[in-house]
Amino acid sequence: MAALLLPATLLVLGLLVAPMAMLFRISLNEYSAAQMMQEALTAENYLRAIADPYYRDVLGTTLGVALACTLLALLLGFPAAYWLARMQSRWKSLAVILTLFPLLVGNVVRAAGWMALLGRDGAINAALRSLGLITEPLALLYTTGAVIAGILAVVAPYMILTLAAVIEGIPRQVEEAAANLGAGPLTGFRRVVLPLALPGVAAGCVLVFILCMNAYATPVLLGGPQFKMMAPAVYDQFVRGTNWPFGAALAFILLVVTLTLTIIGSTVLGRHSRSR
Amino acid sequence: MGTLTLDALSRRYGATTAVERVDLDVAEGELVALLGPSGCGKTTTLRMVAGFIPPSGGRVLIAGQDVTRTPPHGRNTGMVFQSYALFPHMTVGQNVAFGLEMRKIGRAERETRVREALRLVRLDGMADRLPRQLSGGQQQRVALARALVVNPAVFLLDEPLSNLDAKLRAEVRFEIRALQQRLGLTTLFVTHDQEEALTMADRLVVMERGRVRQTGTAEDLYERPADAFVAGFIGRCNLLRGAPEGPGHFRAHGGALLPCLAAPAPGASVLALRPERIAVATEGEGLPARLATVTYLGAQTEYHLDLGGTPLVAIAPTPPESSRHRALAPGDAVLAHWDPAEARLLPAEPGDLPDDTP
Repeated sequence: MAALLLPATLLVLGLLVAPMAMLFRISLNEYSAAQMMQEALTAENYLRAIADPYYRDVLGTTLGVALACTLLALLLGFPAAYWLARMQSRWKSLAVILTLFPLLVGNVVRAAGWMALLGRDGAINAALRSLGLITEPLALLYTTGAVIAGILAVVAPYMILTLAAVIEGIPRQVEEAAANLGAGPLTGFRRVVLPLALPGVAAGCVLVFILCMNAYATPVLLGGPQFKMMAPAVYDQFVRGTNWPFGAALAFILLVVTLTLTIIGSTVLGRHSRSR
Repeated sequence: MGTLTLDALSRRYGATTAVERVDLDVAEGELVALLGPSGCGKTTTLRMVAGFIPPSGGRVLIAGQDVTRTPPHGRNTGMVFQSYALFPHMTVGQNVAFGLEMRKIGRAERETRVREALRLVRLDGMADRLPRQLSGGQQQRVALARALVVNPAVFLLDEPLSNLDAKLRAEVRFEIRALQQRLGLTTLFVTHDQEEALTMADRLVVMERGRVRQTGTAEDLYERPADAFVAGFIGRCNLLRGAPEGPGHFRAHGGALLPCLAAPAPGASVLALRPERIAVATEGEGLPARLATVTYLGAQTEYHLDLGGTPLVAIAPTPPESSRHRALAPGDAVLAHWDPAEARLLPAEPGDLPDDTP
């Protein structure tokens, strides 16, 4: 039976572990304008990234956007997931496909759509101006709000479907029992549905948080040149600055921060769901 | 505790009617069973009482109060679900305390009442277990305790025994009945198992395709069924299509002329005769018949009779080995005899007879 794992193991080793090991090795090298990089074993790149207020700011923005998107996806996604999970009609599979619909469009294409909507001469500004509500176009594009909205549209389906799968496993009769014992809809939700859905909340949040932390196309296209998140910053170092060691160090910082917060978050939620 | 009244309660789904104008009065402390084949509307009726399904028409009154528009959490019913529906993330004690918490009962009283309720269902000392650590029978008793501890006005049971094995089921049946009588619980009980209904209920409501066919005690339904469906559903019954022929006789479709109760109900087209009310003998009075099969069932023996093309089933205590009757075999000529008062003429709807060909 163990042989069944062999192809997947080789794939992971070859395509994930090996490049990561190489990347880590690169992050310890020294930058050299002439040769791109020089063999070394130094923590210099990490120290520079942590010390530089600009990159601290980029990391802060990334964390802020990722947390905001995760929280919003949870708040907006839970009611939708609940509705989807409890849906009994024959339209259910259609509803699932509609939920997945945003994922059928590539990130770049979707961002272009947002630009057409939010731009200075975009649909929203045009509509407001023709209604006479504004004279000068509103700055909608190239804002943190635009980035959050754009990322949210991508990650919401993941959150909804993860939550729906767990909510479907909560028997309806358990909710009815709570109502029968005198719990109103809100109390029933708080005391029964939410605690039982916590594993789904944890899984959905972890999944969405990781996606948000690593968002690339959406922040670049909707955030504009002044707006920086970690994934575009890494790209800049590799491609524009051709400073591979520093780019690799940024990539590892992103990885470690994401991993740490993910582990902390799922441990807290996991402990909560066990103790209830 | 209070009374429960259903007043022309109906539920329609589009063009189909799940429950059609059900009237019922459950007296204080009475246990009434809703009995019928699957899809007869019994569970829909119970769920309308609990408030989970809004009725399309009619009213539900609990203790004289119209609760038709009251949401489930405002009705003060105690329901035991078929799947028990325990809260899997709460201990047994927390499960039982939930309803008391919702009623804002203080911690000290809550703890006392939870302990009492668990003692009542013989689960003392189990308060700290999780539901998944209990057997099916124990989970069922937790569900009972959880529903009872809040002193509900009406106690609702939705096929509570169907997930238990046969031996446990007989035991729990008596336990629930004893508990219900001791506490004087006004109870509505849904089951498809007639034996369960007959042994537990004060009165039974036989439902079929959304309608009440008959309401009465076990004896009413068995001895005086209102129609062929009830006669066939409760216990075993010979049901023969045909027509009354003069007072006191019935001509079965098979051709036999059978003695029956003198005054037939209007529209009667079926003769109903319980197998154990037919005596099979080799001499004396009775209609001549031929034995088709003889099936030994231990305490009883089942005889399939052929009365000149009309089939009848008779069941009698197995005769002792010394008896001549014990030697009866297929092909033997016998006499079938019954008190004409036992042969009832009943109305029947299409589909009421098991062998009806539509």
